Amino acid sequence: MSWMHTIFALILLPAIATGMFRILRGPTAADRMMTAQLFGTCGVAILLLLSTGMGNPVLLDIALVFALLAALATITFVRRTWHGSNKRNHGNPL
Amino acid sequence: MAATKETMEILYNCGTLFIILGLPFFLSGTVGLIRFPDIYTRLHALTKADNVGLGCIVCGLALQSGSWAVTAKLLLIWLLVLVASSASCHLIARSAMQKNIEPWTRS
Amino acid sequence: MIYSILTLFDIILILTMLWLAWCLLNTEDIFKAVVLFISFGLLMALAWVRMRAPDVALAEAALGAGLTGPLFLSALRRMNRTRKGERRLDSDENREKEHKANQEQG
Repeated sequence: MSWMHTIFALILLPAIATGMFRILRGPTAADRMMTAQLFGTCGVAILLLLSTGMGNPVLLDIALVFALLAALATITFVRRTWHGSNKRNHGNPL
Repeated sequence: MAATKETMEILYNCGTLFIILGLPFFLSGTVGLIRFPDIYTRLHALTKADNVGLGCIVCGLALQSGSWAVTAKLLLIWLLVLVASSASCHLIARSAMQKNIEPWTRS
Repeated sequence: MIYSILTLFDIILILTMLWLAWCLLNTEDIFKAVVLFISFGLLMALAWVRMRAPDVALAEAALGAGLTGPLFLSALRRMNRTRKGERRLDSDENREKEHKANQEQG
């Protein structure tokens, strides 16, 4: 248990909360998806700090799962949802 | 190798310093996401600043952890976040270029 | 000392989640709702961690953020496609109606 790390996690939490404005306002769909990515990265940092702050090393595994699955939503978004309306560069591999 | 108590204390304080160094990167990444004018600049703020901040925090926690297993796991987490965010940043930027979204210029 | 800090953490987390849930239920744009749902899943995992249930948090991070998000995004694309198909069907029907009307007039 360490109060210092808990304070650091507490400082990072408003960084997530203010990111919500970009979801609500974002002009394009990618801006909204980027905010979800910010939530993922900040969530990993908060979990790492909380694992020392709460004295629970299991939280490192949750951070690992966060890091593994953070890219999945963004890549699905780009490949499935956002792509497709513009067929101009169809010869591009990938 | 048994580290002496003084060495442990120095390592702990260095770790705290690294974590404190990493926090402003995170906050500036969020400020950049809110304030920057177009999608490319926002991608730049989000991806780079956040990953450097996470790197500093991982470095500090690894210095404080005092065990090789935890250090290896922390480095693995950082590496995964780096790969994930750089891949998705590249995909979003290329897709935006293909959709003819104009980069912001000071005009 | 540490418990008061953790309580403050909980209060901010709960307020953010309530706001997020309100925006999620209140929004008209489906894509915005999907992104808000993914973000809500991430914060929900943090909330499970604070409730001292790391195993549930692990499941929430894997299912809520990792699997349902891409699933919803794929379903959104399928929905847009069918909506376009319906529109095309509508225009075809309209054209047939016009054709019939012209034939009746002729």
